[in-house]
Amino acid sequence: MCLRSSSYTSPKPCKHLADYKLRHAFDGYDSLQNCLKTTPIGRTRVDNHNTKIPRCNFCNGYLGRLYICLMCSSISCSTHILLHTQSKSGHDVAIDIERSELYCCLCCDQVYDPDFDKVVVSEQIKGSCPGRSNKRRRLDSGMELDLKKSKWLIAMRDGRAKSCYPLGLRGLNNLGNTCFMNSVLQALLHAPPLRNYFLSDHHNRDECKRRYGEKLCLLCEIGALVSAMFSGDRSPYSPAQFLYSWWQHSSNLASYEEQDAHEFFISVLDGIHEKESKVRNSSKDDGDCQCIAHRAFSGSLRSDVTCTICGFTSTTYDPCVDISLNLDTVNLSAAEKTGLSTLSGCLNLFTRAERLGSDSKLHCQNCQELRDTSKQLSISRLPLVLCLHIKRFEHSLIRKTSRKIDQYLQFPFALDMTPYLSSSIVRSRFGNRIFAFECENSDSSAEYEIFAVIAHSGMLESGHYVTYLHVNNHWYKCDDAWICEVDEGIVRASQCYMLFYVQKLLYYKANKDLSCNASVESR
Amino acid sequence: MSRPPPPPPPPPPTTNKDQQRQNPSLQEINIKLIQSGEKERLKELLRERLLECGWIDEMKALCRAFTRKKGRNNVTVDDLVHVISPKGRASIPDSVKAKLLQRIRAFLASTAD
Repeated sequence: MCLRSSSYTSPKPCKHLADYKLRHAFDGYDSLQNCLKTTPIGRTRVDNHNTKIPRCNFCNGYLGRLYICLMCSSISCSTHILLHTQSKSGHDVAIDIERSELYCCLCCDQVYDPDFDKVVVSEQIKGSCPGRSNKRRRLDSGMELDLKKSKWLIAMRDGRAKSCYPLGLRGLNNLGNTCFMNSVLQALLHAPPLRNYFLSDHHNRDECKRRYGEKLCLLCEIGALVSAMFSGDRSPYSPAQFLYSWWQHSSNLASYEEQDAHEFFISVLDGIHEKESKVRNSSKDDGDCQCIAHRAFSGSLRSDVTCTICGFTSTTYDPCVDISLNLDTVNLSAAEKTGLSTLSGCLNLFTRAERLGSDSKLHCQNCQELRDTSKQLSISRLPLVLCLHIKRFEHSLIRKTSRKIDQYLQFPFALDMTPYLSSSIVRSRFGNRIFAFECENSDSSAEYEIFAVIAHSGMLESGHYVTYLHVNNHWYKCDDAWICEVDEGIVRASQCYMLFYVQKLLYYKANKDLSCNASVESR
Repeated sequence: MSRPPPPPPPPPPTTNKDQQRQNPSLQEINIKLIQSGEKERLKELLRERLLECGWIDEMKALCRAFTRKKGRNNVTVDDLVHVISPKGRASIPDSVKAKLLQRIRAFLASTAD
């Protein structure tokens, strides 16, 4: 999978390409349009409609890279392409026949031109949907070549060392196998959007009781928790009221048994959403919902299902509040050398195009038949707070057993989600093309900073959850009632189960607020 | 117990100079593969397998390391191809080679005159 650097700027054309464009504008590209052929998997080649296979003019070779000159359409292999440009002045730019990529013969290097890529991509799209109109047309709506990428100014971090623990750190007593709850609460209450929401009293408890009179409101309980955590009192707090309130909401999970932290996380978000939609009397779908849970965690996943025969792709979008990742143990053959499973490996696995088995053929709209398909996920909208859930608990329905995967997973503290965005994934399907992706929101950053890690140790039935919080450049371990500062190495070495990242801008802003001891964040 | 001798290594990749002197039947096979479009499909299969086994990621890492060493503006595509080709060819898993060979044989058998 491509791992592009976070600064996606289009490369400048070389002098020779610039000269060519000045002299010939789009002539060469236009005549190319009829000679492009796209394979169903998305590779576009230059096809001269000859029955003979392309061969080098100089040596008659047909193996290796072959280039076709933009000026005279003569074909040369990589060994002789320089000869061609030397023998004919002005014949500087050529196209790699198999890949439809520009090559400058004088620079001896690949070069890039957004106009060229426009032509190729439009042919690729046309080629993959033969049902649509075959009229020759330039690239139109949805693919504006506007590659503005605004640079973000990151606020300077306040690096003042604190001798005492920062505000907001407080232990939670274990009320009977409730470490799953404590660990998630620690992470949630320190998620900047949630913390700020409750600290600014956006859910006013008195008002809530007055208006709805319900004895138990999940939001009120969370608000009470946040107040307790940030009160300055360092003695461990017992979230009994919250637990009881949550039991009312998720009665199926109400017991003193150890629960799954991720399941609890989802159920809390659900509870917040339910209560807030009742309050607002609205039932917007998750994508547009303005409840604090969705405002913080809601993102959108894009799913592309492609017919392997004709290349027709059908796209759907689904909202999500987190991403559950399988461990990339599949790639162990390459990773075996380092023996390392990484978060980027898991994310690559998540966004990889996957061939669905022949027993799950789908109906292709284009072919009008059941076909083998390939499915690829990508992230079309990133949330403010990104929760990544590592699927360590495997439940086999067939064998009726469950097991825990202890595989160590390496994860970064700074995460760039750009390669997993729909724009990057779809771009890479077309090869190294330059174009702006439709609905690419360059105003939201893809860079994240970690602020909480929920780690699990032990076995499936009898394990223990702890949370590591990153506050003011220090790491703190929250083990039920006990809070202590730890070295970042401890965090890196932990067996992560849930990772919480927040958009970089928010993170630095949040830390600044904490160190200034400001408790109210204006909306 | 003596084992049978290992199969002879596959012929080395041909440079353009060698193409003229190529074994005529090998050339015929190649042309047949290209014209029928089978070569395209084989390359597709190869790409899939190499992606799965992490070979592509390894090559990318090599390219990145080389580019970092030389500086991004001092590296051309040709440089990269030259640098990673020997390592790349050497590190292709045997299972991938075997699979492709199997496909080629099947294709030739099905199109035998």
